[in-house]
Amino acid sequence: MAAAPETIALVAAPPHQGLWSKAFHKFCRDRAGLVGLWVVVLYAIVALGVWLGLWASDWAEVTGPKWGPVSAEHWFGTNLIGQDIFARALYSTRTAFELGLVVAVLSTFVGAVLGAFAGFFSGGWIDELVLWFMGVIDSIPFYLLVAAIAFSLGDSPYAMYIAMIATFWVGTSRLVRGEVIKLKELEFVEAAHAIGLSEVAIIFRHILPNTFHILLVQATITFVAAIKSEVILSFLGIGIQDGMSWGLMIAESTIEVLAGFFNNFIAASLLMFGLVMAFNMFSDALQDALDPRSVR
Amino acid sequence: MELLQYTLRKLIAGIPLIFGVTFISFLLMVYFGPDKTYDLLGKNPTEQQIAEIRSELGYDQPFVARYFNYVTELATLNFGRSESTGEKVSDLLARTIPVSLALVTPGFVLGNLFGVLLALFAASRRGSWVDKTIMGCSAVGMSISFLIAIIAFQLVFSSSYGLGWFPVRGWNIHSPLDYLRYVTVPTLATVFVALGYNTRFYRAVIVEELSRDHVRTAKAFGVSPAKILSVHVLKNCAIPIITRVVFSIPFIVISGSLLLETYFGIPGVGKVAFDAITTGNQPVLKAVVGLTAVLFVLAQILTDILYRVADPRVSLN
Repeated sequence: MAAAPETIALVAAPPHQGLWSKAFHKFCRDRAGLVGLWVVVLYAIVALGVWLGLWASDWAEVTGPKWGPVSAEHWFGTNLIGQDIFARALYSTRTAFELGLVVAVLSTFVGAVLGAFAGFFSGGWIDELVLWFMGVIDSIPFYLLVAAIAFSLGDSPYAMYIAMIATFWVGTSRLVRGEVIKLKELEFVEAAHAIGLSEVAIIFRHILPNTFHILLVQATITFVAAIKSEVILSFLGIGIQDGMSWGLMIAESTIEVLAGFFNNFIAASLLMFGLVMAFNMFSDALQDALDPRSVR
Repeated sequence: MELLQYTLRKLIAGIPLIFGVTFISFLLMVYFGPDKTYDLLGKNPTEQQIAEIRSELGYDQPFVARYFNYVTELATLNFGRSESTGEKVSDLLARTIPVSLALVTPGFVLGNLFGVLLALFAASRRGSWVDKTIMGCSAVGMSISFLIAIIAFQLVFSSSYGLGWFPVRGWNIHSPLDYLRYVTVPTLATVFVALGYNTRFYRAVIVEELSRDHVRTAKAFGVSPAKILSVHVLKNCAIPIITRVVFSIPFIVISGSLLLETYFGIPGVGKVAFDAITTGNQPVLKAVVGLTAVLFVLAQILTDILYRVADPRVSLN
């Protein structure tokens, strides 16, 4: 007990900054990352406004002529049946955030837990089983897996969510497994063993919190992957089933572009590009800031 | 001899994986797939008619027997007939797979080749404006959806609103010149999308290799930069590059053929798969999903063996 004040003094000494405060300072100096973060926040506000019914609640109503031009009333014109394209594109922001958040949170959670168990018991049967399962998921091409899941669920609206979570956890899980294999050899885990904590408690209370920097970056990567996959799946007819999304708008626009009407295509593509680009910039900066190997 | 042993061991190690992918495709598409009994029956069927159809479809057999049947179908390439056209599924695949390969291969090869070249160029001028421009373009490319790129390239190069140089859609090939006319726009879209991811990945690999001791030694001995890149760096990057190429097969080849063929109306295996997805054509779907998964596992095993050939340091275990 006599050594305790000394230990605290060491931890509190200025050069020993924690990973998180160091990462925060580094992130604040990354201009591209900050721009990305602010753009993402802007999109999030738009999505929240749609969710609260502040704007774009008339996305499904016919408010103008067929293929109306760009005007003060319809900022991006109207579509084939006279619905306002701007309202539909805004409403799709909400769809994108719902999808991105649900898939990112759940697949990161599954990846973290399975990866932590595999890493903690590396070499044992749990590890073998998880590794085998990851290999199997990796070997079935993503779009075909979604098609197969949609087929077995009989076109359920959840097929896309289930398929994305079933696929995207693998990347996170591999990283977490590798990190846990390193972590479990460290002293604090040994100490936790010594005071008689159960293995499950050690994994959840002491090991998983130390992989949080990986999980955060992986969640942002998964968010982007989910939004990008949605566009392709909706075009293939196995994506969003009801509501409106950028993918459905682009699928709708494939008939229109060859007739010389581009507003639907441009609106959905630009909004989607903006969010994905901003999220990528944010994610890159986060990854740089949280990388313990980086010097400053 | 050692290589043969290694090959055999890798093949045996691949068995659990092949079991896994066939089992999951069996569960999803055959066991939990939609019940076809009533589609094949007339109105007001009798108990006996229902039982007959169910036994014809194999629904009355035990789980293990049905899985075994599915694996036999995969191994013998005998999937029955397509529900929509009545064509034998194996004939359908034999007719459409070559079209897809002809469509996707140029984009796949060029996307990886240009990716490595751009990455070498960027990495060798690390931190300069050339590097920053290339990496900036790659970040933009990564943020553009494949589907959007396809639509945009078609508009610019094929439609009457753009340059109108190439056919808008279709696949009507009688000569090598026709092939070039139809394959160019899909290839441009594929290369555009693949370059974003590839350049970034390959640059990271090359930058890491450039910081190794042996590269510094070579520099100190006055070896020319071009020789360092081509001999000392690229050769050591072979393994991550091969891995990348193999693991991008599902991304480029499968999603590429699905999207490109659907959008451009090209009669390849991707279009067949798309039609099977939208109409719920089980014999075709289970053939496509099962076969691609098994082929991909085999491709991974082949890669492991290639590593062994390329780099003798790779451990035999």
